[in-house]
Amino acid sequence: MNLQGGVQAMGKSKRIWLLALTAVVSLSVVTACSGPNDAKKNNTGTTEPTSAAATTETEPKQDKVTFKIFNGVAGSKDGNTNETTIGKLLEDQTGVNFKLEFVVGDLNTKIGTMIAANDYPDVLIPDAAIEEVLNAGAFIPLDELIEKYGPNIQRVYGKSLNQMRSKDGKIYFLPIAAQVNDFIPEPEAGAGFWVQRRVLEEAGYPKIKTLDQYIELIKNYRDKHKDENLTGMVSLTHDWRFFATSNPPMHLMGYPNDGNVTVDTNTWEAKTYAGAESTKKWLKALNDLNAAGLFDKASFVDNYDQYIAKLTSHKVLGFFDYRWQVDNALNVLKDAARKDPSLDGFKYFPLPVTFEEGTPDAYLDPPGGLVTNRGIGITVSAKDPVRIIQFFDNMLTEENQTLMSWGIKGETYEVNEKGRYYRTQEQIDKIDEPFRESFGFKYFSWNWPMYNATSTLADGNAKNVASQPEVFQMTLTDKDKAILEKYGVQTYSQLFAEPVPRPYFPAWGFAKEQNSPEQLWEASKDEMTKKYFPKLVLTTPDKFDAVWEEYMKEFGKLDTAGYEKWTTEQVKAKVEMANQ
Amino acid sequence: MRLFFKKLGQQRALAVMSVPFLIWLFVFKYLPLWGWSIAFQDYKPARKFMEQTWIGFEHFKFLFGDDRFLRVLRNTLAMSSINLFFGFVTAITLALLLNEIRNIAFKRVVQTVSYLPHFISWVVAASIIQTTLSPDGTINQLLVGLGFLDRGNEILFLGIPEYFWTIFGASSVWKDIGWNTIVYLAAMTTIDPTQYEAAEIDGANRFKKMIYVTLPGIKSVVIVLLIMNIGYLLESGFEPQYLLGNGMNVDYSENIDIFVLKYGIAQSNFSLSIAAGMFKTVVSFILLFMANNAAKRMGEARLY
Repeated sequence: MNLQGGVQAMGKSKRIWLLALTAVVSLSVVTACSGPNDAKKNNTGTTEPTSAAATTETEPKQDKVTFKIFNGVAGSKDGNTNETTIGKLLEDQTGVNFKLEFVVGDLNTKIGTMIAANDYPDVLIPDAAIEEVLNAGAFIPLDELIEKYGPNIQRVYGKSLNQMRSKDGKIYFLPIAAQVNDFIPEPEAGAGFWVQRRVLEEAGYPKIKTLDQYIELIKNYRDKHKDENLTGMVSLTHDWRFFATSNPPMHLMGYPNDGNVTVDTNTWEAKTYAGAESTKKWLKALNDLNAAGLFDKASFVDNYDQYIAKLTSHKVLGFFDYRWQVDNALNVLKDAARKDPSLDGFKYFPLPVTFEEGTPDAYLDPPGGLVTNRGIGITVSAKDPVRIIQFFDNMLTEENQTLMSWGIKGETYEVNEKGRYYRTQEQIDKIDEPFRESFGFKYFSWNWPMYNATSTLADGNAKNVASQPEVFQMTLTDKDKAILEKYGVQTYSQLFAEPVPRPYFPAWGFAKEQNSPEQLWEASKDEMTKKYFPKLVLTTPDKFDAVWEEYMKEFGKLDTAGYEKWTTEQVKAKVEMANQ
Repeated sequence: MRLFFKKLGQQRALAVMSVPFLIWLFVFKYLPLWGWSIAFQDYKPARKFMEQTWIGFEHFKFLFGDDRFLRVLRNTLAMSSINLFFGFVTAITLALLLNEIRNIAFKRVVQTVSYLPHFISWVVAASIIQTTLSPDGTINQLLVGLGFLDRGNEILFLGIPEYFWTIFGASSVWKDIGWNTIVYLAAMTTIDPTQYEAAEIDGANRFKKMIYVTLPGIKSVVIVLLIMNIGYLLESGFEPQYLLGNGMNVDYSENIDIFVLKYGIAQSNFSLSIAAGMFKTVVSFILLFMANNAAKRMGEARLY
């Protein structure tokens, strides 16, 4: 009715015509935005004859296809894998190209939208949102596909296939990386108590083993340099990164990073430590540091950027953290020291600190099982799951794993007469961030089915370039070599105790159901520790015990026994599966 | 009735033009109300409506039975009221003062400087505030320099829960004062200059003109804005509290929105989020209605 009236009205008056025109134009602007996308969509579906690339494949050449992949981890720019050197080679082998899209903004929102619309990209890497994706039934089971088309997948994931099964006994996704061949620890520890090198130098490079010695070291240095306005220790507490402050008790007791629990390798019992004596001891140490004016109070209000800025300010003597979290700061200091060796004293040196002298530390991640709460899966919207699984399988060949981390022989790496891979200085200099992007190292470094970083290739070379001792030695400066020599080691990780295998590792990687008691325990515990730890550290030493009591009263309200029971069950199940 | 159709016929162009907006209003404002049903379900995503389990008022019971919810409700109301009161008082005062300034260049500078912070995102603003308030920040340095504090005893402003509301209020005023004055300044330009002349003849000084001419002149704008803002009383904002909040001041910084994020969305408990959202909407509606009614009773300008 109204619309008809409108048409008549339009016929009558030019002015209304104009208005209608404006409306149409503005509408077409909206629709135009989706225009190019549609065109692209059509393109991806079209098939082109494969150019005569010299493929080693014996089966008939297949048409080229492009699949969409959504990665729930923010990182690189969106793009096609075949626009990179590695991706092009893989496309020549399989005819498959992937269009990668990375998450922008909130992951849960993005995944939630996909679920609500029941419309997914062909391949999905849901990262932390994997439970929702599984609950929504978005992944197709892979068992048959792996059986038929996945000889390499079976080889790589073989011993863990049972651990990968969901409750209904089917495999829905491939975990992000699996241990293959020999275990080779990374040349740098993943975590540790860090201290400025000048502190060690002035103390005459002592062997530091315990927390008390570490604090003593820092205290002594500060006392000698009272007028320099130095900070003894800082701690990272911002938002979800709070674990940098709550995890140390676990490491100080000599356990690897299992998140909220420590696991006994004899009984496979998991125990939480947030309310244990170890946590009290650690916080008491910080409390004493604070009382002595050595702890940076602002640690509890600073955000992550402020924390990183402090680490690069040369004023902070020590801190505990995971290397991946402070990489930016360490790299800045490293670059500065490379340009001006006199700044070397401001670089940080990792120390294997525990509570007791005799406890072997566990800062190096042990060879473990699989992280089974992260992975890559094929969705119900996928056009051709067979081609995708074939691509994954092809990725996992020895040659392609070498290609993805080392690149092309003669171009990005060399082989010496003993068959060891290495890189020349020229190659090292060439491989900067833009090169990593255009060559494809960046796209293929993470979140695909692959050998994990501590794996070796069949010929004994390290899968990861940085883990190859020869390459690592080349990255060291003279000062680095000198300080390592003082401690009688060639790599930083040799300072640390050899990791003990833990087939369930890591416990933080156990998949928890949304809204489950386990998840609620973690959320409530986080909130409690975030509230009480600052109080405990910043209170005067005489009131410490009283605040601890208060904290224990709150903490007692949680169903910690239930959480420990659940985690122990998970650990035991994983261990059992690994032993099968 | 016939009169209505006659009028509609006369103004059919207008009526046609409003159709797209009515559709928009329906699609984006009324259709989503359907989603409220989720608050009464044990909602699981990707399941059809008929497959959801209905659990009645469970989520509301959880909300109101939780100490934390009452605490965040208190924080929300407190921070909103602070915002509302100081936002109004400071903005109107600044507008009155600006209106009195005859030096155009100076007026422009003041206006620009005061409304610039509005265009900074809260992420950046929060960083500025955090840096200023940190132990080695400007404020602590000033206090130390003036001898109010000893070095080493700097105040951890964001670490003292009781300070949070003040910091929040001051930050909001700093950020939005200039922006909020714009509407009042605009309202002031509509005041008939003859009123000022008449007042002057009656012997009013500048201050008196402000009180008896300018303020009554913008009264209707103030009241309409006040009514609208009362409707938003449960919306104390999200970003400043989230960005400035930390473990130490959580008892005073956490508001309903953050609570919903932590216990609803982050735990994928969408039903709880919706229940909290519903509570907010219903309370806001009641508040708005009451404020409007009060204005009506007093014979003042009102929303509807």
